Amino acid sequence: MTESLIVPGDRLDIKSENIILGPGFYVDPKTDEILPTNAGILEVSQKQNKTVYVIDSKSKTYIPKTNDFVIGIITGTFGELYKVGLSEFTQAAQMSVYAFPNASKKNRPHLKVGDVIYARVLSAERDIEVELECIDPTTGKEGGFGQLEDGYLFTVNLAYARYLLFNENAEILTELVKKCKFELAVGCNGRIWIKSETVKTTITCVKIIEESQNWSKQDIPKKLKEVWAAFN
Amino acid sequence: MVLPEYQTSLLNKVDGSSTISIGEVKVICSVTGPIEAKPRQELPTQCAIEVNIRPEVGVGSTREKNMEDKLRVVLNGTINKFQYPRQLIQVHLHIISKSQATENNLKDLHACINGAYLALIDANISLLSSFLSTYAVINDDRLIFNPTSEQIQSSISHHLVCFDIKSGRADELLFVDSVGEFTEGELMTVLDQSIEEIESMNKIVRKTITEKVSRDYIWKY
Amino acid sequence: MSTNEHQFLLKALEEGLRLDGRKPMQMRPLNIEVGPDYGQMLVTLGDAKVVVRISSEIVTPYEDRPFEGIFQVSSELDGMGHPSFNEASHRQEEEVMLSRLIEKAIRRSNALDLESLCIIAGQKCWSVRADVHIIDYDGNMTDIVCIGVIAGLLHFKKPDISIRNGTVILHDMSEREPVPLSVLHIPICVTFQIYSSGSMEDNVKGDGREFVIVDATLKEEALTQGTITLTLNSNKELCQMSKSGGINLEVDEILSLTNEAQIIVDDFTKYIKDTIKKDEELRVNPLQKELQVVNSRE
Repeated sequence: MTESLIVPGDRLDIKSENIILGPGFYVDPKTDEILPTNAGILEVSQKQNKTVYVIDSKSKTYIPKTNDFVIGIITGTFGELYKVGLSEFTQAAQMSVYAFPNASKKNRPHLKVGDVIYARVLSAERDIEVELECIDPTTGKEGGFGQLEDGYLFTVNLAYARYLLFNENAEILTELVKKCKFELAVGCNGRIWIKSETVKTTITCVKIIEESQNWSKQDIPKKLKEVWAAFN
Repeated sequence: MVLPEYQTSLLNKVDGSSTISIGEVKVICSVTGPIEAKPRQELPTQCAIEVNIRPEVGVGSTREKNMEDKLRVVLNGTINKFQYPRQLIQVHLHIISKSQATENNLKDLHACINGAYLALIDANISLLSSFLSTYAVINDDRLIFNPTSEQIQSSISHHLVCFDIKSGRADELLFVDSVGEFTEGELMTVLDQSIEEIESMNKIVRKTITEKVSRDYIWKY
Repeated sequence: MSTNEHQFLLKALEEGLRLDGRKPMQMRPLNIEVGPDYGQMLVTLGDAKVVVRISSEIVTPYEDRPFEGIFQVSSELDGMGHPSFNEASHRQEEEVMLSRLIEKAIRRSNALDLESLCIIAGQKCWSVRADVHIIDYDGNMTDIVCIGVIAGLLHFKKPDISIRNGTVILHDMSEREPVPLSVLHIPICVTFQIYSSGSMEDNVKGDGREFVIVDATLKEEALTQGTITLTLNSNKELCQMSKSGGINLEVDEILSLTNEAQIIVDDFTKYIKDTIKKDEELRVNPLQKELQVVNSRE
């Protein structure tokens, strides 16, 4: 894996064959030229004989992609549809009341405005509203999706959220587990839901995870200890 | 040469922000987007761009409206608008201290363009290319970049030049605004020299961005 | 905000805990960064930030007040402070509340001596204007804007003038030392948010248990059930008090809040005075400034 800084307008020597382009690129429809459009770190990796190019860059506003796991807040109910907010000031996504395992006309969930759900992005097409569901498509069962009760919700930047979601053994989490017990759900939209035994522990965990965005790996044990001591 | 000072990510509630100071001119810039556009702004295939410039004292007047329009021209050419159909990208600038030379608003606009670029990068908005601007005056047949207020006041012509930057090279001319009396030849010299100026500026700006990105990804290493 | 956050925050506040680890009666750290010009500063309270700019010009006084100068405060909220302020309706409400409180706290408490701004009665006077732009909105705007305006007024200097044969001559700052404004006292706002563990009915009866915090963040402010803003100065004078929201407060509770506020006010007054004094010394002795720049580089 090779990495380097890229800013918009940099010319990359990328052949348009046998590649997969991740976020941060734009293919000029006139010239077929591949242009990097975001400033970040270029990551090149191999996947099934194809070269994958991704520009990893930090952002706060979430743009939905199919199959992303997200944490949404119900912002309204319209007949058989829920409106779900995925990030502030962006258009709400929608979710059918039947998008839950075993849901039927008689047996449907009763979510209220302000409730928090963990869901999967079912479709995110350019020109229609984003749709969510709370079913694991591989099993047809709940699979961890559904309403998240109690606990607290906070946000981190999107790159960090993805890192926490796809790295169960992220140092910050393995170190935090040594200190206390907690339940955690991470959404690609940068939201994190956390629940632990006491209010104080939850507040401390929230602070530690928020702050850890600015910690380097080797600093984690030291800084974690500092924050923990300050809050307890 | 007066080196501009750059800083990013100082505001918390917006997606991206920057401060820039060029001589006595200081500007704070924030970018939010892509967010839901108001119905009157919504465009079916691309994003709308809203630019707001606030002066140091009072509310915006024609001077700021004029700068907003010019800045919008630059942003329209560089933001990858088709990436965000029906969305809105909002750019707010606050001129904390303006140029002491009141002849024209080019020095302020110069700071606004470069500030907007950094804030857009910070907000991770998709851009077709990087861009930077320079401000030069012709004073006694001499071409001066980043002039002081005294130099601005005694100059015959003023030029704001904005190029897009591809692979560290100033590539295409995005915007040029000239005030005063000058010949075609003089303008061509300004453009030629601006390329060099912008490329050397770009090295510093790129360093700022590298620092920003390594700060953003400190948890990764 | 989600129901989960709402309930969690209320529960935490009930236990006397705050998300940023503060105690209920603890302010966020205040920082004032003075700009190169007089009356120009960046005020930071935790994550909240405002940019202050004081300016002055010579105008004709109001006809009904020929012996007084003019003082205006303009505080602005926009999408830079928080994207929700793009909606005019949301913005207006906040702006009106803010400007009324600042009006009461600073203007009507006579913090700025308007008569000293008079140049020639009925003909010429100074008009002083405070522009406050909220660039990062994180709750408790009243307190931070108030600190910004008053610190700006204390720091500001207007060019010196002289009158010859009825005409006003304005002296450039390089020609004659500029003159500070005559600030009579330093009013500082302290805003408390009141929450209740009981239901609405309990609140009316006064049965619910109340808990009070100072300097709320945006999230804490969003679930407030009552607000009280006290404006005091370091002479222990109450300049203004305003309370809104539906929770009853007993007189002795208000008195104890006033005592809490007094501690904060004294602390902030000292900080503001020290900051301005330090800046003044640097301006008088630029060599010291150069040395400081060298130090900060190291």
